[in-house]
Order: sequence, then C-alpha cells, then structure tokens
Amino acid sequence: MSEKMSFTFQDIIWCNLKRKPLRSFCLIFLVAALAFVLFGSSLITRSLIKGTDGLAKRLGADLLIVPRGYAQTAEGILLRGSPSAFYMEPEWLEKISGVEGVTAVSPHLFIASLNSDCCSVPIQLIGFDQDTDFIVAPWIKTSVPGILKDNEIVVGGAVAGRVGDTLQFFGRGYSIAAKMEYTGSGFDASVFMNMDAARIAARDCASKMGADAPPEKSISSIMALIDDSSTPIGVAGRINSAFGYVKSGIAVVPAQNIISSVSVSLRMLTGSFGALSAVLWIASFSILALLFSAMLNERRQEFGILRSVGISRKKLIAMVLWESGLISCIGSVVGIFLSALLLMPFRIYIREIFNMPYMMPGFGQLCAIACISVLLSVAAALLASLLSSVKIGNADAYRVIREGGL
Amino acid sequence: MILEASGIKKEYIRAGNSFWALNDVSLSVDEGEFICIVGRSGSGKTTLLNILAGLLTPTSGSVYFEGREYSGLSDCELSGMRSTRLGYIMQGQTVLPNFTVLQNTLIPHVLADRGDAAEAAMSLLEQVGLAHLAGQYPSSLSGGELRRVSIARALLSSPVLLIADEPTGDLDEETAGEIMRIFTSVSKKGTAVLMVTHDMNSAAFGTRSYRMASGQLL
Repeated sequence: MSEKMSFTFQDIIWCNLKRKPLRSFCLIFLVAALAFVLFGSSLITRSLIKGTDGLAKRLGADLLIVPRGYAQTAEGILLRGSPSAFYMEPEWLEKISGVEGVTAVSPHLFIASLNSDCCSVPIQLIGFDQDTDFIVAPWIKTSVPGILKDNEIVVGGAVAGRVGDTLQFFGRGYSIAAKMEYTGSGFDASVFMNMDAARIAARDCASKMGADAPPEKSISSIMALIDDSSTPIGVAGRINSAFGYVKSGIAVVPAQNIISSVSVSLRMLTGSFGALSAVLWIASFSILALLFSAMLNERRQEFGILRSVGISRKKLIAMVLWESGLISCIGSVVGIFLSALLLMPFRIYIREIFNMPYMMPGFGQLCAIACISVLLSVAAALLASLLSSVKIGNADAYRVIREGGL
Repeated sequence: MILEASGIKKEYIRAGNSFWALNDVSLSVDEGEFICIVGRSGSGKTTLLNILAGLLTPTSGSVYFEGREYSGLSDCELSGMRSTRLGYIMQGQTVLPNFTVLQNTLIPHVLADRGDAAEAAMSLLEQVGLAHLAGQYPSSLSGGELRRVSIARALLSSPVLLIADEPTGDLDEETAGEIMRIFTSVSKKGTAVLMVTHDMNSAAFGTRSYRMASGQLL
C-alpha cells in the first residue's frame, strides 16, 4: 500500500491547501503583494534615512564653494553623483584659505564622463589634490595608495571593477589603485584621479564633445573645513563680505544646507511611504477579509461534515487560522524575497529615481524590517480570516450543516 | 440504555409562522439494537437525528447519552462524543474531497487526538470492501463506495451508537442491500444502529421500527 499511513491535524490543514492550488495561490499572491510593498517601502525609507543621516560626515567638509549658479549642480554631484562639469579660477583656493575660521581647503575638478565600459550610466570624474585631500582618503577601504600616477584612479563603492582592473575614459586606460567604501552619496558613482590627470581628462572630454577646453589650472569646487569656534554660516558670511556676495561670482554653501534640503524631501517621502503602506494594509485586509469570507462560505459543506464527525468550534477556528497563517507566512516570505531581489541590486537606480542619498541598512536592520513586514502581512491575513472563521465556528453546528447544503 | 430522549420538541419559525418540527418525541436505544424510523420528507426525521447527535438543541425535552444530559455538555464535550462514542452518517454525500479514502476514514480519530489508527482504518476499509481504494480521492469513487467510506469513518472509533440518515437514499437496490448487511453485522457486534429511511426494504432489516409523521413518532 503506497498510501501514507500516519495522518495528523497538520496533515488536514496541509491537504486543504494542497488540494485547492488555485485558491491557495490567489491568497499567497495577495499576501505576497502586501509583503512586497511593505518590505519594499520600509527598505527604501530606511535606506533614504540612513543615506541622509550623517550625510555631513560623509561629505567630509563644512563648506562647499562653487561658481555662482552651480550650487544645485554641485549638490547633485555630491548627493547623487549626477555627472556635470563647471569651472572656477584656482586663485580662490588661496583666497578662501585666508579667511578667518577656515582650517583646510581642498580643490576638486569635475568632469562628466560619457558612458564607460565599467558602468551603465555616465560617471562623474573628479580630480582631487592628494596633498590637501580630506574627502577621499577616509573612505578608501583597500590600502591607501601612495601618490596616484596620471594613469591611476580611485573608484567609488558602486563602480564596477576591482583594484588592478583598467577602466577606459575618453580613450585612455586608467588602472584602479584603490576602491572607496560605499557612502550612500554621489561619491559612490564617482571616479577620482589626481589633478594633472583630471585636467588631461577634461581636455580629452572637451575635444570629444567638440567644446572649448577648460582654462589652465582651473578647478570646479573647493571643500573647506572650519575650526571648532566658527560656524559654517558665520564663515560663509565672512567669505561673502570679504569678496562681495554678487561681485565674487562664487557661492558658499554650508553642508548643513544641503542636508536640510534633503531632510525636507525625506520627510515628504517617508510620510508618503507610510501613508501608502497604511492604505495598502487596510486595502489588503479588506480584500483578504472579503476573499476569506467568500471562501469560507463556499466551504460550509466541508465544515458541516467536520462538525458532524466531531470537530469542535475551537478546533474548526484553529484549522482555518492555521491555514490562513500558513498561507500568509509563505506569501510574506515570497513577497519579501522578491522585493529584496528587486531592490537590493538596483540601489544606484533607486537613488537616481529619488534624487537623494541612499544607503542600505545593515543586516540586522534588514532582518528587523523583514520580520516587521512578515508580522504585518500575517496579521492582516489572520485578522481577515478570524472574522469569518469565528462567525462560522460560533454558528450552531446544525446551521452550518444546513447552510452547507447537507 | 445507551440513549434516552424524552419529550423532545423543536419549534421552527418559517415566514413569520411557527411550527413544530418535532412534537413530544421520546425514544430509547439499547446496546446492539437496530432501530429504523421511516417517514415522508418533512416529517421531522432529520431534525430528530440531529438533536440525538447533539448537533441541534431542542426547544424542550432532554437527551441522555450514556447517562449524560446534552444540555449540560460543552461544545467540546459534544464534539468529543461525536468523534469517539457516536458515529453519525449524514444524509447525502459527506466524504471530504480533499482527502483520500483512508484519510477520510481517519478524520474523527485525528480530531479526537487519539493517535495512530491507520491499521484499524485499513481493517475497517477491508470489511466494507474498500481497502484497495484507500489511496484514492473521492472523485474517483462511485456513490455506493462513497457511502461505505462514510460508514467506515463513522465506525472507526468503535462507537456505541451509529446514527444514519437516509444511508441508502440515492443507492441502487444491490448496493443498498450491501449497506444494510454492514449495519446488521455492526449491530450484532454490539453497536446500536439508529437509521432513518423512506425505503421500506431497508427498514425491514431493523429489529425495531417506527413511523414518523408530523413531528411525532408513531
């Protein structure tokens, strides 16, 4: 005899699910969709919050000085790695370093690459001065290279390629000398090279684009650190009064201003995601309640038979809750798995969509988000089935049998 | 005395008018008896069986099963009684489609948490001639075979009372005869059988018969 001999209460539950695959699939699909959105929206929200938290620390500077009219563009480069290029005179380095309260300055030169073989999106090339740098070195995760040669680069955490690999920009090969940690900022999609190499790349870029080459020795921005007794706004005011707010042709942006603009967007997004999740939970709960109600009504004959052979009200309710619990567990795990599968590899694209710093939470926090999503999804399904199962369980056994058509 | 029902009344309200489905019915069942109740549709037979099986509460009157009065028992106790001491074969098709023949037979045992009874179930299926179909699903069984599964299921816990509502209602004469022979054999082994039918040929197998009309046992 091939028939499995032992048969338990759990087998009854399992058989009920297995023998009605379409019904089970529909319920699993619905719970999976709920878990997908709950986990996805929570993960994106947490990643945006983590990306924004400590953004100032990751930017590494107190002030950003750029040509007037390019403050927003520079923010785009620093926050999102949106490729762009603009120039200012190198003399500003000395002028800014002489302002009271400024303790260190370091120049950057921005060059927007065309599509490169390393990346599916254009890359921001940044020239930096290793002698004065306080931005790039702290984020290098492999050993800090010595002086970068003209054909050597340091790449952001999201740029494909390992140390020793060669990347091509404007027809020249550059060897990766070091790779940075993932920072959640625009640096992740940036490639750093020394100033001389960056100027050569800027000329290559201009020639490829058919544009004028940038002025000799030009720079794009100055990152400045200030002393503990000064405030970024105070030092920015001193710079403006020393060189003239309009006349100077430069814009001084305190790092916290960048963060506060991001924070406003983040609050709006977090609120939107929260509202979306709440609406979706209520909608899913309502649909599940309707589905369970219809399905349990359809199963009245089955429940009537079970009542006649000795299932108690409590056990009948437990059976239905076990079924919906099992379905919701499977559904929520599937939904979370698919959500993670979609969101985790595409964090760069997600950052581009939201135009904000984006940094995945750690493993512990990921697990916590997954657990909360499972709990909320399972709770929705259990509550939805509880209403109908209690109604049927509490009905007189004879009524269940009669209404079941027996 | 296994079962004693006295002064059972059941009132229903239909379209605003009340009527008595059962009107002062009394009945007692002893060990090994095979009692048949015949009557037309709507005479109150099924209502009586549901009250005797503890599935329906009477408007008045009392039912004692093995000395315990139903009104004093909880739902759990009544359910436990149905899965262990009282086998109930309802009218119509009552085999669950999601389970195999063997699993259907085992369900009351599983619900009563009484451990592994697969061998006993196979032995019962053997007795009703269905052992070879133990692994089959109900969709592949005939009406007579399905009815025999219901009987095997009701007998698995060795009940002291087997209640059957129209067990031969939709069966041909030969299959109905087989079912009656099973009931006769069961009652001879000590299990009381209380059967409702409108088939006089089946009723002839009983050791005691009643006629039911207008909610009264005659």
